[in-house]
Amino acid sequence: MKGKKEIIVATVVVAGVLLTLFFYLMGTGEIELNQIGLVGIAIVLVGLAMYIIWDKISNVKKGLPEKDERTISISYKAGYYGFIAAIWSAVFTPLFFDVSSEYELKGGDVTAIVVLVSAFVFVVSYLYLYWKGK
Amino acid sequence: MRTHIKELRARYDLTQEDLAKMIGVRRETILFIEKGNYNPSLKLAHDIAKALQTTIDELFIFD
Repeated sequence: MKGKKEIIVATVVVAGVLLTLFFYLMGTGEIELNQIGLVGIAIVLVGLAMYIIWDKISNVKKGLPEKDERTISISYKAGYYGFIAAIWSAVFTPLFFDVSSEYELKGGDVTAIVVLVSAFVFVVSYLYLYWKGK
Repeated sequence: MRTHIKELRARYDLTQEDLAKMIGVRRETILFIEKGNYNPSLKLAHDIAKALQTTIDELFIFD
């Protein structure tokens, strides 16, 4: 039951993110290049999250648990990698933009980049560890 | 680390999914343990050994 509740919550979150992206894109007049990149990462993340949810649902349908000691362990590892990515991106994103372009990043931009980069690293490392088996 | 899980599963005519259901883990976890790609916890190793009516010593081969 607990697993089913988590799946429902995750599905609602994915639907919420998709709706937010939809309204964001509808409300934005002209989309800049950096916004396309960020929205692209968000869409990839939603796709990967939907795959993870589908995998959990198919396990529950077969009568298997949606998580076990291996998936819990890889969640912790992926979370660690995501945390490291968040720290590095928070430090180096403003530096990178300072050195390489004249575009001055706003606080909100840095926050968005940090959140998206760390989430991307988390999901990619989760899937990598998931398929590698460790 | 190598294991005898596959041979013992065959002896009892169990699929990976059957064994996974018996011990309450995902099928992929059994697959990766069989392939030697994942080292299970002591509790999981004990549960697998119990399900296959053997001991941890007989189930796992530590190279």
